[in-house]
Amino acid sequence: MNSPSEQFPDRTMALVISALGGEGGGVLAGWIVSAAEIENYPVQSTSIPGVAQRTGATTYYVEFFPVTHDRLDGKLPVMAMYQTPGYMDMVICSELMEAGRALENGMVSPDRTTLIASTHRSYSILERSAMGDELFEGDDVLKAGEELSKRSILFDMERLCQQTGTMINAVMLGVIAGSGELPIKPESFEQAIEKGGVAVKPNIIGFRTGLAYIRGELQLEDKPEEASRWGRRASMDDLLAAAGRDFPPEAAPIIMEGVRRVADYQSTAYGSAYLARVAAVLDADKAADGASHGFKLTSEAGRYLALWMSFEDIIRVADLKSRPERMDRMRKEIGAKDSEPVVITEFLKPGFEEFASVLPPGLGRALTEWRAKKEWRRNFHFAMRVKTNSFFGFLRLWMLAKMKWWRPRTYRFAEEQAAIGSWLDAMRDAVARDYRLAVEIAELPRLRKGYSDTFQRGTANYQRIFDALAASSSDFTGDAAQQADAVRAAREAALADDESKALDQLLARPEIPAEPSREAAE
Amino acid sequence: MERSFTKEVALLRKGKGEIFEGEGILAITKALLQSGVSYLGGYQGAPVSHLMDVMVDSKELLEEYGIHAEACNSEAAACAMLAASINYPIRGAVVWKSTVGTNVAADALSNVASSGVVGGSLIIIGEDYGEGASIIQERSHAFAMKSQCWLLDPRPNHTRVVDLVEDAFDMSEATHTPIIVEFRIRACHVTGRFECRDNKMPKYSAKNPIRDPVFNLDKFALPPSTYLQEKLKVEERLPAAIDFIRKRKLNEHFDGTQDDIGIICQGGLYNSVTRGLQQLGLADVFGEAEIPTLCLNVTYPMVEDEIVAFCAGKSAVLIVEEGWPNYLEEAINSILRRADVNTTIVGKGPFPKAGEYQAEVMLKGLAGFLEGVVPRGMDLAPISAAVAAIDKNKAQAAELLRAPIPKRPPGFCTGCPERPVFSALTLAQKDIGKVHIAADVGCHTFAVLPPFNMGNSMVGYGLGLASSAGIAANFGKRTVAIMGDGGFWHSGLSTGIGGAMYNDRDQVLIILANGYSSATGQQYLPSTTAGGGVDVNSVMPIENALKGLGVKWVRKQHTYQVGKMKKLLKEALTTTEKGLKVIIAEAECQLAKQRRLRPLVAKALAAGDRVIRTRFGVDEDTCTGDHACIRLSGCPSLTVKPNPDKLRKDPVTTVLNSCVGCGLCGEVSDAAVLCPSFYKADIVQNPGIHDRALDAVRRVGIGILQGARPPANNGAGATQ
Repeated sequence: MNSPSEQFPDRTMALVISALGGEGGGVLAGWIVSAAEIENYPVQSTSIPGVAQRTGATTYYVEFFPVTHDRLDGKLPVMAMYQTPGYMDMVICSELMEAGRALENGMVSPDRTTLIASTHRSYSILERSAMGDELFEGDDVLKAGEELSKRSILFDMERLCQQTGTMINAVMLGVIAGSGELPIKPESFEQAIEKGGVAVKPNIIGFRTGLAYIRGELQLEDKPEEASRWGRRASMDDLLAAAGRDFPPEAAPIIMEGVRRVADYQSTAYGSAYLARVAAVLDADKAADGASHGFKLTSEAGRYLALWMSFEDIIRVADLKSRPERMDRMRKEIGAKDSEPVVITEFLKPGFEEFASVLPPGLGRALTEWRAKKEWRRNFHFAMRVKTNSFFGFLRLWMLAKMKWWRPRTYRFAEEQAAIGSWLDAMRDAVARDYRLAVEIAELPRLRKGYSDTFQRGTANYQRIFDALAASSSDFTGDAAQQADAVRAAREAALADDESKALDQLLARPEIPAEPSREAAE
Repeated sequence: MERSFTKEVALLRKGKGEIFEGEGILAITKALLQSGVSYLGGYQGAPVSHLMDVMVDSKELLEEYGIHAEACNSEAAACAMLAASINYPIRGAVVWKSTVGTNVAADALSNVASSGVVGGSLIIIGEDYGEGASIIQERSHAFAMKSQCWLLDPRPNHTRVVDLVEDAFDMSEATHTPIIVEFRIRACHVTGRFECRDNKMPKYSAKNPIRDPVFNLDKFALPPSTYLQEKLKVEERLPAAIDFIRKRKLNEHFDGTQDDIGIICQGGLYNSVTRGLQQLGLADVFGEAEIPTLCLNVTYPMVEDEIVAFCAGKSAVLIVEEGWPNYLEEAINSILRRADVNTTIVGKGPFPKAGEYQAEVMLKGLAGFLEGVVPRGMDLAPISAAVAAIDKNKAQAAELLRAPIPKRPPGFCTGCPERPVFSALTLAQKDIGKVHIAADVGCHTFAVLPPFNMGNSMVGYGLGLASSAGIAANFGKRTVAIMGDGGFWHSGLSTGIGGAMYNDRDQVLIILANGYSSATGQQYLPSTTAGGGVDVNSVMPIENALKGLGVKWVRKQHTYQVGKMKKLLKEALTTTEKGLKVIIAEAECQLAKQRRLRPLVAKALAAGDRVIRTRFGVDEDTCTGDHACIRLSGCPSLTVKPNPDKLRKDPVTTVLNSCVGCGLCGEVSDAAVLCPSFYKADIVQNPGIHDRALDAVRRVGIGILQGARPPANNGAGATQ
């Protein structure tokens, strides 16, 4: 190689920014390029816009040579068009999963790469549209990031942004500048923002926020521990004390939350009924040596029992929507200032099913059967737009919420209590055979959620699995461990698609007792 | 255009000796002005949209030079513009995305190339190949070969690019041939600098018009002229081109000490080759390499003696050529065979046949070549080690990450007006069963991705309706074709609607009319109104065009009304009325709309005017975490968060602050009878006295009711 280059560094510096469309990754890349220009360094950047920008993952690549143009005397380095594994000095990711992607692609290497990433999550459509919980766990990314980089700066930049009212790209620039890993002065970065001329003031504030954080002059505020959202009344205290006293420490927090939820939902007496039901589960759990399983059965049964007993009928929805703390929460969520009036419109669309649920059992059943006979009756819904914070709009919800006393006399209430009874029986019988089977049955009501069609599909799926695999009367031909596997597999299948295709397939397996044809069941 | 490119236009004004700092595609635009073009044209598409945008925005500058710029309706129209240079000595350049655009332009391209030109004619193509590409993966190279026009693939260095563009005009004139200048995506977007020359006044222009028409039968594709043209192409223009390349030294030969081997690369890949060599310790930071390199800035035609001279005496030469077929490698092999040179040619082998030559592919390809040919005296250990280090690092990462990182497919933007149409189509199909959907090119193609997973085929821009001609009659149910307004004006009007009407086809067409060519950057279309920003007299409404073609069943529907859209779709799919049924699903592109409204709102707010901000929200108390709403929408601002409820495990739905309040959430939850969790919030900013008074009264009234609630709920807000 030629001699003139020997007085210069033998390589350029390379950075890649992984961002999501709309986060200002391009602007960030522009600032870095501009800062390098201000330092009078040769610099270039490339990017891939196009479809990637439309909410997908996208990257911006910046390369510069930390020698000023005047020293180079017209000579220029050859710089690359692509980020290169093994060559990266800095990898900057605006989100945790994108940091994972950079690691996966080999962009972070222990000998030279500084990894700067925000640890917050922006969920992909696949995670968002799942019927249950399919959120990607980020712990492995953090571990890999720390282990595979020369230096890692990983923290929740989004929270820092929320805390300080700044934009993430400006904060990232501050962190980059403050890391001291690039031979570019912080002032040059700041000048670059000014030169950019777009939203200069807020971006400078964001930049200084990132800089202050990395210099330790500013900390992330601790997240306050969320308190239970359910009300507390004096009459509940005895129940809570009992829950705390009678339940093993592994289960007690869940049971106490369950008590609060159920008592708040209906009445202290109803809370007491909840506690009695879980106590029975606990007895069975203890008898089956639940201690060695951390009383998982009691915890899970207690969790789903509380959720089930506080099922969402129209009274419940009206109750939740007319609570005073709801307005405060909404204002916060939508970012309305105190001085700004807000008009809230609810989209409610009850049908015969919802009306039937609040009728007395006999009438409710009759209406339900009548509804099932004709398609138009099944499809009939009454669209309501309620302005919750207009007086009369609120009054409608309020009056409905006041119907709470009537609830125990309704068709829906009776149906739910009966189904809960069978479920508790099944668990009690199962735990004597196989602990895991009982836990799987305890988790099965997770399928019972949603409203309208979603709820009907969920409960139908629940019932099919319950009848075929979980009920005490099930004719499942395998042993208890296989049965536990089957219940779990069926629950997962029910959450795999919203047309119950996976569940149909699974329930058609030979070891599973034949179910009556679906049409007939409906 | 809604966006302003004033900054870019200022760059185009720079004069001799000034330094240009900016994107590649802008540098190319500047080179066109420095070449004295008389006319410009093109059709938008990544990665060359920017050139079109800037061109449209720099009207004033162009007028000063008398340059005519045209936003063409298709690439065919753009290429046809070059006809101006067939008879007259005027320079022109057209631009489009390739290979798709070149396919559309192919008819005109063949004819212009065959007739030959007397004025310099350039076709700037953005080769949309590799990462982030949104089109089929093909090479444009074959077009140059079959039409006998010359293909430049410049080394991505601004100074070199600008020089080559200017050279290309000379070459076009010297060889009477249109020239294709190809730029890869990253080359279009790469930033860099060069020293400007003055912009040149065109020889002829609106300021100095051509006076007399030229008649020359030799320029027509009629026998016997066609035979003459073919002969000219092969016997005169080709040798002239080879001569020109040699004389102007368009290709670059970089010497190296390791002269028993060599590398021949496409100009566009030169930087990547150099980075690979740098990483292997075979080149310094300035690109001085140990291995001699021949950088082909012109990839068609090849200069045979240049190739022979480079290869002679070398034991092996690596051809770095992206994509398939490997035209260069094949050609070089036959050149050497003819010259009886026995150098081993290596190309596809260490390099993959398919796919972009990204950094890692390049590094491994170079290393594979060196390991295979064992160059004289070269220590291969560090080369193998460099590759092994990358593999080891990736293996370690995979092990630590334990599972592959989930994909992040793109989708419709926040508040996109096309999304509701697919929500409605999903709901309609739930009622009447699945139908065959012929998709089209545009933002709406995203419907084939999650959460909609909708669409059965897609064969080209504006071809949605045409592509269902074969299946419509052979399918048990009425089929649906999709077309955007961009595709409609590009070719759909004639290939699709004209064809369907002429052949009495019984099917449904949904025209997604968002008012712009949105996927390429919201360029205007003949039907663009831009929210009233376009003079009504110059707007060409789509429904008028449909009427003109005799379509009887035409319905216009605002897209966000999902319930109505669903009803309309069901009607179109089930009505006994035969013939083409067209639904114009209309609502403005949200990106364009927000860009238009944001400054207006900011201004109104600053002035203290009453402004209502609308957005949606989800009650986390009532949401049970089924996410059916997300499966029917996929809006980026409609996402999930860990459930704040201590008992519930499934994440709850939440609306981010990026929500633009388009209303789809409410519409979907209404039309699909989903759940009562959605609410719409109208936030009154800068409230008037009336607003405040009403709010105060409401608060008092509601407060009284809330205070009067049964004791069970009194402590609801209290924390413990």
